[in-house]
Amino acid sequence: MTEPPNTLLEELLLPRLDDKAQKFWHNARTELAAGCNKSRFAALIALASRYCKRRPLDVSHIERERISTAIPGLTLDEWNLLELLRVALICGRNDLTSAQFAEDYEAQFVYADEGETCALYRALPFLPAGERFAWRAGDGCRTNMLSVFHAIALDSPYPAKHFDDTAWHQLVMKTLFLELPVWRIVGLDERRSAELNRMALDYAEERESAGRSLPIGLWLCFTEHDKNRLTALVERHWHSATAQDRKAIVFGLVRSGLHSQVHTLATSESDAGVAHVIDHTLGGQTQQIHFARLVTD
Amino acid sequence: MRFFDPHIHMSSRTTDDYQNMAAAGIRAVIEPAFWMGQPRTNVGSFIDYFASLVGWERFRASQFGIAHYCTIGVNSKEANNEGLAREALELLPQFALKEGVVAIGEIGYDEMTPAEEWVYQHQLQFAVDHDMVVMVHTPHRDKKNGVLRSIDVAREVGVPMEKLVIDHNNEETVQSVLDAGAWAAFTIYPNTKMGSERMTEIVRQYGPERIIVDSSADWGVSDPLSVPKTAHLMQERGIDQAAIELTCWQNALDAYAQSGQIDVEELLKAPVIDQSQRFSENSVLRGQQPRIDEPVKN
Ligand SMILES: [Zn+2]
Repeated sequence: MTEPPNTLLEELLLPRLDDKAQKFWHNARTELAAGCNKSRFAALIALASRYCKRRPLDVSHIERERISTAIPGLTLDEWNLLELLRVALICGRNDLTSAQFAEDYEAQFVYADEGETCALYRALPFLPAGERFAWRAGDGCRTNMLSVFHAIALDSPYPAKHFDDTAWHQLVMKTLFLELPVWRIVGLDERRSAELNRMALDYAEERESAGRSLPIGLWLCFTEHDKNRLTALVERHWHSATAQDRKAIVFGLVRSGLHSQVHTLATSESDAGVAHVIDHTLGGQTQQIHFARLVTD
Repeated sequence: MRFFDPHIHMSSRTTDDYQNMAAAGIRAVIEPAFWMGQPRTNVGSFIDYFASLVGWERFRASQFGIAHYCTIGVNSKEANNEGLAREALELLPQFALKEGVVAIGEIGYDEMTPAEEWVYQHQLQFAVDHDMVVMVHTPHRDKKNGVLRSIDVAREVGVPMEKLVIDHNNEETVQSVLDAGAWAAFTIYPNTKMGSERMTEIVRQYGPERIIVDSSADWGVSDPLSVPKTAHLMQERGIDQAAIELTCWQNALDAYAQSGQIDVEELLKAPVIDQSQRFSENSVLRGQQPRIDEPVKN
């Protein structure tokens, strides 16, 4: 890390706080730096809601660069201001590496409301020795609250770094189930596997049996481990697929080493947008960040 | 018309209820902490219940475009289990200061025992110390006396009358509550007790000021659409539109927004239900088709 997370968080926070909230933050920071007990720590996290609302952060381009330099993979675009304040409070403790902090942090989940739970999980990529909280984060993924799942799974380097294979596969599959943007799972490119490929192929067939369309992000989960099944899946879908879906399929094929199939499909492709994606993926732009542009453009 | 049901136990209601409530124009609810229909046996049961009020239930309501607030408190029935009640009271600081907790409640008397009084007073003091609104459940037996006692004790502890909501009123109690300067809430029960017709006559007689209509729907026979149904009856019977708006929306908002825990600006935005991002095997809607961009009726 090029700069300590506390400095970064505070610099993101301060310009967004009004006078009353600034005063709260300064007092709280002093208190936390001096060391405070578990119940005061909980109270500060709760009281934050009296000073900040759940408003979007509107992260600037320069800020985005600083964040991803400090913690590669992390994006705060979907955080709200109250979450930022709470994460700054958590990271404002002077004992983040201690067993006491780990105990206090865990204890917060028992009493946390929805907004606090999200903020607690959003703090994960900032915490030193993150492996201490891998069970907690995996358990958090069992939530029924979409907001909470979102806070753990997307735009954060934490899961790819600390989840074991079981937790990781569950996270990716649940993201598909929830029809959330799979391409925003940081590290998906690197942590695809034969097992995940099988699960994704099984899931595709399950959706076909239910007469349901395939989530577009599904195509990002495939690898070269079962080319025959993937080829068959593409054959069943290509002709009825929308241009947007064909773009996603092209990603799936190239990412699985099925370049020759893509060359064949290219010869009969009439949509300029799809043709463009074919060129770029064959040219090597096959990562999830490239895929993300398909969806956001 | 838009409606605010400031007393309803959504944890005991189904998603059909949420759907019908949203369709009927209910935009916001308050879920007071109460008992579960059977007594709790340990403090962990209070912890998980309070946590569900500020967590899961809030999220569940949001899926239907309904803003969910709650109150935290130890109810009068369970106040009589003194050991457990004391343990539960120790949880107040952990939950009562959360975002969206608009009052201490529902607290008060059931049988008017000394144990109930002690728990009531303790929580009134907590509310005063933290400048909070108080929602009072009044007893169903010996009601008139219970209402008077609830107000007197709250006043003694120092609760400002404009921060006191007395619930489950009837024709016999309303005048005392209004005279005290507190808010008078009425629970509309489908069969017994207070019905929509009687409610209409109360609004006609006493006017709309500081009068609040709610359903108190829970796990018993009750109607989560009581507030809109009463509003429509008031309309049919010639009650002023402004009075209906006050008793079925604005008064509840004014009373509980004193907590600072209702983001009024956010609440007044036209809500749009977008369940498309929440539709899944693992969410409340399961296999249902999500509703998209369907504005909630006003
Ligand atoms: Zn109740």
